[in-house]
Amino acid sequence: MEWLFRYDFDTLTTIALWSIAAVLATTVILFVYTVGLRVATISSNQQRRSFLARWRDVFATSMLDREFAAQQTLPRVRRADRIDLLEEWNRARSMVYGSAVDNLIDLATRSGIPDLARRLFRSRRMRSRILAVQTVGHLRLPEFRAELGELVNDENTALSITAAAALVDIDADSGIALVVPMINRRRDWPKTRVSILLRQAGSERISEPMYRAIRSEGDSGKTYLLQFARLMEAEILDALVGDLLRESRDPGVLNAALKLVSGFAGVPRIAALTQNDAWFVRMQAAKVLGRVGQEEHLSLLEALLDDPEWWVRYRAAQAITTLPFLGPNQLRRIRLRQSDPFAGDILQQAFAEVGLA
Amino acid sequence: MSIQEFVLAGQWVFLAYFVGINAGYLLQNVIAAHGIRRYLQTADQYEAENVFSALDIPISLVVPAYNESASIITSVKAMLQLEYPQYELIVVNDGSSDDTLEKLIDAFHLQEFPEAYRARVQCEPVKTVYRSTRISNLRVIDKENGGSKADASNAGINMCRYPLVCVVDADSVMQPDSLRRVVRPFLEDPTTVAVGGTVRIANGCTVRQGFLEKVGLPGNFLALVQVVEYLRAFLFGRMGWSPINGLLIISGAFGLFHKETLVEAGGYNPQAVGEDMELVLRLHRLMKEKRRPYRITFVPDPVCWTDAPENLRDLKSQRVRWQHGLGQALALNKSLITNPRGGAVTWIAIPFYMIFELFGPIVEVAGYVFIIVSAFMGWLAWPEALIFLGLAIGLGVMLSTSAIMLEELSFHMYPRFKQLVLLYLIAIVENFGFRQLTAIWRFQGLVRWLSGSEHKWETITRSTSLADESQ
Repeated sequence: MEWLFRYDFDTLTTIALWSIAAVLATTVILFVYTVGLRVATISSNQQRRSFLARWRDVFATSMLDREFAAQQTLPRVRRADRIDLLEEWNRARSMVYGSAVDNLIDLATRSGIPDLARRLFRSRRMRSRILAVQTVGHLRLPEFRAELGELVNDENTALSITAAAALVDIDADSGIALVVPMINRRRDWPKTRVSILLRQAGSERISEPMYRAIRSEGDSGKTYLLQFARLMEAEILDALVGDLLRESRDPGVLNAALKLVSGFAGVPRIAALTQNDAWFVRMQAAKVLGRVGQEEHLSLLEALLDDPEWWVRYRAAQAITTLPFLGPNQLRRIRLRQSDPFAGDILQQAFAEVGLA
Repeated sequence: MSIQEFVLAGQWVFLAYFVGINAGYLLQNVIAAHGIRRYLQTADQYEAENVFSALDIPISLVVPAYNESASIITSVKAMLQLEYPQYELIVVNDGSSDDTLEKLIDAFHLQEFPEAYRARVQCEPVKTVYRSTRISNLRVIDKENGGSKADASNAGINMCRYPLVCVVDADSVMQPDSLRRVVRPFLEDPTTVAVGGTVRIANGCTVRQGFLEKVGLPGNFLALVQVVEYLRAFLFGRMGWSPINGLLIISGAFGLFHKETLVEAGGYNPQAVGEDMELVLRLHRLMKEKRRPYRITFVPDPVCWTDAPENLRDLKSQRVRWQHGLGQALALNKSLITNPRGGAVTWIAIPFYMIFELFGPIVEVAGYVFIIVSAFMGWLAWPEALIFLGLAIGLGVMLSTSAIMLEELSFHMYPRFKQLVLLYLIAIVENFGFRQLTAIWRFQGLVRWLSGSEHKWETITRSTSLADESQ
């Protein structure tokens, strides 16, 4: 402890004085920086608003009238406005189809957008790069196919999914052939973006590659890909679902396949799945039986009303209320014959939901 | 030990505390600045390509309400208009003694509904469940009063159908896109179990039909100081802990949780004074004990606006309660403190909270007493004392300035120059009186916790800023 009392407080005071100076200087720098930031933001916002207003007008007229657009004098694009121009053009481009797309691509060519996209394609700023990738896709520039094929494997999620979408934009057939087998490996790709990409390619184009990919994957991959299978053509999808329900023992695959059942094929197998060990398979099977079930399935659904899992009881109760061959009086009788309080409660709730007292 | 030695030893303690707390805050500041920069960059990318449209995870919004007759209709109407593709709203009337329930029944055409209710987490009995005949995603629970927001929240959690649960104060004003923003960590990382967002002060803002129409600063001095305080607390306080998975608190005004994990942890603790912090600590404890990978994350986006106390009585009550809650929450989860596998929570966050947040007021108040006594006794070396006082104030101002800069860099919610200047003035003025007062209140809260006193709920006077202009 002695050292404590021998320590020279003058040194500390000197350090404190210097610290005050450093703190003051830092505070002033932060203050000046913040004020500068505010001034710059106000000024750039004003300029941006007026720039975007002029270009939106140009895009709107160009979409509708190619000749008029060709005669228009285009507004000047400053270096600082380039990203805004790309964003705005891409926004306009993703909203239109048919001849308006060609009109917008013409306009883009006149305003130097392809050159800009080429320059930004290798930018170090990720946002600019993503915009450039989106733009080359929207412009349908085939020269970028090889590079986009590499970017699809990039570890950055946003960049790789954008590259995948661009490939499909440029050439839907080869793009889909490349992208579909990757979907399971790239589970970081947001499902909504994958769905949009597949939908835009069209069901006739994706059905065969999707079928092959699902059949060739393991259980986990099958389960994952089946989430997008609804976008396939109905005939191919029904065949796939039938095969999977017959062949698979994996609860995940069965659950995903049950969600896709649309017709009456395979009802006996579906009925058998109400006894499956996995609660979510029993729940899905009950739900499907509510849609396709026959009179002989009523007892199976009633048996699920006292299932240990609430969701199974709930879906079974809902399924019973939707069976087409049961009228209000029969439903009430079913309710009265339930001795289990869980079964009674859940039926009462399901009845109330459809306005049945 | 002689008096001189005692004084010298005291000076060393204060110095060590001073260096420790400021170094900690500065480090948090650096981490937060880096975190916000990264967050904004990725947000930029996602916005550019609309990567996450948030269609994947439906959310159950739970709104506990006790005697909220004045604002409940406006709040519920606003919450029904949030920008999110699939969510349900569950309002829990916690045995209100006013006409909260009657107003809800009238406004939303509610009818009794025989919902098959499952009590998965503990709460007082539910009397009736109502369903709106007009709005399919609205349900109202009428339950017996449980004496706490935690109990009401638990009843709502029991009724949730979706995988994520968002608990929101009935008097909070939500940003329309708050759910879309706060769900992002769940989409990016499936091990996420809880997410908090920045809560801002609503006093001085214009609220119409439950939505924030215009951001303003309050005229009331105490509320104004809390604006700067909240900027510091959220923009670098919380944001500084999040990257190391050391976040110990998600504001009770707005938090999004993975439902099954929340149920597994037992929901909110109705006996906890600071139920929001206690829950987050319990989630950390549960996940560490189960040795499961997890993330408790913070997004810097402003997600909701809340009313701040405008008088000393209410502010004191709030701060005493917070400190009491902090002590109790740490004590209730003491096994987390001694868990050798506790990671950043056990080794960094909890020691920091214990030394500087929980027991800090002892050092701070002792420091004030020490200076006053020393001054009277003639022991104080005035030039040195003034230098250290200047440094303490300077660091306080610098940290606030940095928080204001982070706000300007990221969300710039206060658009007028006058507002910016006012925030800077407050960052200076709050050091003279306000900080000392809050240290004393925190000390009282600590004493209340240590003495085992029961916490009494007190009614907080509401500011007029949240009153709906249409009413």
